[in-house]
Formats: sequence, C-alpha cells, structure tokens
Amino acid sequence: MLLIISPLLCIFASLFIGRYPLSIDEVIRILWCKTAQLPCEVLDIKQTIVWDIRLPRAILGALVGGCLAISGAAFQGLFRNPLVSSGILGVSSGAGFGAALAIVMFSSVSSATYIFAFAFGTLAVFLSYIIGRVYDTTPTIMLVLGGVIVSSVFSALISLLKYVADPYQQLPAIVFWLMGSLATARYSDIVAAGLPMLVGIAGLLAIRWRINVLSMGDKEAHTLGVNLAVDKGLVIISATLATAAAVSVSGIIGWVGLVIPHICRMLVGNDNRVLIPASLSMGACFLILVDDLGRIITGSEMPLGILTALVGGPFFVWLLKKTKGGNW
Amino acid sequence: MSLLQVIEAGFGYEKQEIFRKLNFQVEKGEVFCLLGPNGCGKTTLLDCILGVRQLNAGKILLNGQDLNTFRSGQIARYIAYVPQSHERTFPYTVMDIVKMGRAAYTGRFSAPSKLDKAIAREALEMVGLFHLRHRPYTQLSGGEAQLVMVARALAQKTPMIIMDEPTAHLDFKHELEVLETIVELVGDSQISIIMATHFPNHAFYFENKKLPTRVALMHDHNFLELGRPSEVIAEESMKTLYGVNTRLISCATGERNELKQLVPISTIS
Repeated sequence: MLLIISPLLCIFASLFIGRYPLSIDEVIRILWCKTAQLPCEVLDIKQTIVWDIRLPRAILGALVGGCLAISGAAFQGLFRNPLVSSGILGVSSGAGFGAALAIVMFSSVSSATYIFAFAFGTLAVFLSYIIGRVYDTTPTIMLVLGGVIVSSVFSALISLLKYVADPYQQLPAIVFWLMGSLATARYSDIVAAGLPMLVGIAGLLAIRWRINVLSMGDKEAHTLGVNLAVDKGLVIISATLATAAAVSVSGIIGWVGLVIPHICRMLVGNDNRVLIPASLSMGACFLILVDDLGRIITGSEMPLGILTALVGGPFFVWLLKKTKGGNW
Repeated sequence: MSLLQVIEAGFGYEKQEIFRKLNFQVEKGEVFCLLGPNGCGKTTLLDCILGVRQLNAGKILLNGQDLNTFRSGQIARYIAYVPQSHERTFPYTVMDIVKMGRAAYTGRFSAPSKLDKAIAREALEMVGLFHLRHRPYTQLSGGEAQLVMVARALAQKTPMIIMDEPTAHLDFKHELEVLETIVELVGDSQISIIMATHFPNHAFYFENKKLPTRVALMHDHNFLELGRPSEVIAEESMKTLYGVNTRLISCATGERNELKQLVPISTIS
C-alpha cells in the first residue's frame, strides 16, 4: 500500500512546487474540475500551470524514475553484481546516439528525437546480446562485456556527432538533451512512451521471483529448473523496453538505476519479490523530488542528470561506508 | 530399472577429449563416488548428467528415458545439485535460498506457495539449520553455507542429488558434518548421491556406515576401476590414479566396527 501511495503523494506535492505559488484549495479545485470536466472558477494561468505543466511533468518523472530504478534492480540481480545499473547493456549510450543523430539530421529536438533514441537504445541492447552470444548460450560475463563494448562504441559515435554538429544550434541541443530533463513533458509524451514503459514494468513485476533464482548464476539456475534463455530474455526485454522509453523522453539520467535499488536493498532486503516493486515506487518518488528540487534552487531549469548525480553521488559514498560492516 | 544409466558416454572439446565410452548406472539409495586427479573430467561428467553440457557420444537415461527428451526444468525434478563452491553475492536470507529449490515446481510468473515454504522449512530442519532461517546467508560460515546448499537441493524433492566436491574448503568438523548429513539422507529417504571427491577416505566413510557405496576411479579418459570401495581403493590403484604411494590401514572404532583409511606416504617422482 505504502508503495502505491507514496508516489501519488509525491506527484500531488510537486503540483505546489515552482515559481508560481498556489494554494491547496486552488490545486484541489483545478484537479477536481479538470477530471470532472466542469468549468473552473480559477484563473486560466493557474489551470495551465497545474494541469498542463506540473502534472504531466510529475507523472512523467514518476514513470521515468520508476523505470530506471526497477530495471537497475532487475539487472543487478540478473548480472549478480550490485554495482550494475540500468544502462549496463548500452541502452543509455545507444539512446543518446539516436537522439544526437536525430538532432543533427533534423536540426532541432522533435518527435523524431524520441523515436530515434528509443530505436537506437533497443538496438544497442540487441547488439550487446548478439556479441555476448557464444554457441547457443549467452553467459552473463559475455553479456556484460558486450554491453561495455557497445556502450563505448556509441559513446564515441556521440562524440563524433558533437564534433560534426553545428556549434550554435545543434551542439547545445545535443548536450542539453544528454544531461536529461523533464521540462518539456506533455501528455502526448506520456501516452507515447508510457506504453513500452508499462509493458516493461509489468514484465519485471511478473517475473520478479525468478530473478532471485537467476541471481544464483547460470549453472545453478539451470539445475534449479530455470529455462535460462527464456527467463533471461524476458528480463532483458522488459528492462530494455522500460529503460529505452524512459531515456528517450527524459534524456540520460544517471544514478537512479544504481542508487535507488541499493536504498531499497537496505530498507526491504534483497528478496526480489519485495525489492522490485519497492524500487519502482522509490525510483518514482526520488525523481519527482529531484525534479522539484531542480525547479526550486535555480530560476532556470537545472538539468536532471546533473542533480541526480550531485544528490546520488555523496549519498552513495555514505551508503558504501555504512554498509561496509553490514550484510555485504 | 536403474535411476540413472550412462551408456557409452563420450565428451570432448574441439581439440581435447575428456572421456569416452563410460558405462555405469546408479541405483536407488546408493552412494556413487567419483575419484580422480584434478582435471580428469569429473565435473564435466557431472555437467553432462545435469544437462548443463551435451554428450558428444552415447546417451544418458534418467528413469529409463533419454535425457535429451527432457524439457528444461524437468531434469530439476529428478536431479538436484550441490555446487563445489557457491559464490555468494546478495545477502539473501537462508530461507530465501532454500525456497529457490522450489523453482522447478513454481510457474515462471509466480512465487513459492505455502506448501513450498513448508517443504523448505522441512529441508532446513533436516540439515539442522532451521534456527538460522532469518539470517543473511552471506554471514554464515563455509560449512553452514554448504549445508544450506544441501537443504536447497533437498527442497527440490529429487530422487538423486549430485554433489561436486561438497567438502572442499571446509574445516575438519564441517567436512564430517556434511558427510553425516549425506549418510542420514541416504539411510532415511533412500536418495541416491553422486559425489565427486578428492578424498578416497570419503568412500570408505560411507562404506563403513553400511551404505551401498560404489567408487569409480577416473583415469586416462575412462574408468580405471569401478566397484566397492574396499575392492577398488587399494595401494596399487592409487599409485596409478594419483601417482602417490599409500598405505591402507584399518582401526577399530568400537565393537565390530572397523574404519578403513588410506594414508598418503609419498609422491612418486
């Protein structure tokens, strides 16, 4: 219950946060008359701020944060490595390249940017999988290696695009996109990216106990009765759909996929039956709150990728120190 | 019909033959020990029986049925596996680990049921670690962790358990604890055990406990000998197998009980 309520509370709270102050009464009235399709007696500008700017932004933040965290938790289990994050198979660099390519080709951020980012993000994971395939199996270590190779190749390609991009228009657009932001969130984004995100989330929630068994390693999981090809494939496909869709609408937001699963491991333990939903919920809350923070501390928008690392970095150090004598 | 039949089995990598024309069977309630020097192919043979690797030649029959016809997940209802050394990554609780033994009976998109939990609890009681069920298994000693692996195998409710050097890395007492647990299992529940080991004395231990025990000596891609420990483990065969001079001694351990032991003397240079 807490897992469902807390993201909703965060979404609600974030409706009040920003440069334009609003009262509780006004926000509730706007939410009520918008959902009930009634005429509102609140100022039009306030309606727009709540309903068309802050609400879609908070919903998208919740979805993106949840997707990054749940995929990170699932990949950590699958790769038996607590330091893995959602970008391990190259989805972030692939999506970054796709977006940069679209910006260079069409000279600005458009819907093609999202489509390219999603397509190249999934392509990167597919390539990692192909590289990691030896004989008829995909040993975990080969997958990780494939991910490292694909990530670095796409990173190099991003640099290449930056190098050839027009330095006054395209280059800033690429750089800004890569830093991550939710500022342009609209309902159409939520609808378009929401489907793959929800499919991915649903897949990971459904298969979550199996991730426990997969984290025993390939040989043991096999002898415990797991069909490695199918189950690993399902986890990878689900996590990739969720992450690629998240990255394509928000840009590259680091740390969420690494740090949030760890906070949850400390709070609820390592059983993926609990950890996976907890990561989803906590990731959603975290990204909404960080986005709110970005709106508060500077007049102009602070890119999210910067803030998550600035908040997440020191926190992670603290966490490492704290858990050194703990269960690890 | 034997529980497991291995017929003319052969396996090799591209340039290297591991074993050929192996024939043996394992009966219900029997301990089958695989002895042989490092790298002789014990683990590879076990992998083939577990379905992790495919034989190049011959076949393996499980309950009379060809292993290749088993769908993935079905083998896990016949054979459970206790690894040589389990790499502990995430601090799962002991109970979480043992419940994973129920994966073969649990749907892909579901979690262990109440019944599965009861079976896991029972398995933990059998190895005497029920009191540790809420502890993170990363905090257990090597011996306790190995017994958790045995409990996980027991939770699979299989007629056969394969153990790959289950006492490697264990201290004097924990080694004996694992052996004692095996004796109980075979005696009480008629489970068959296939065990790769480096210690000929393990085979003697089971024989001395009056369990039906057989030993296969793996040497030069094949079995040098196969039979009862007291027939097979001898000074001469150990010389061929390991290149070690040994003495076979026997000491009384109570009334009409006698413990055979092989004592290594020197390597042959």
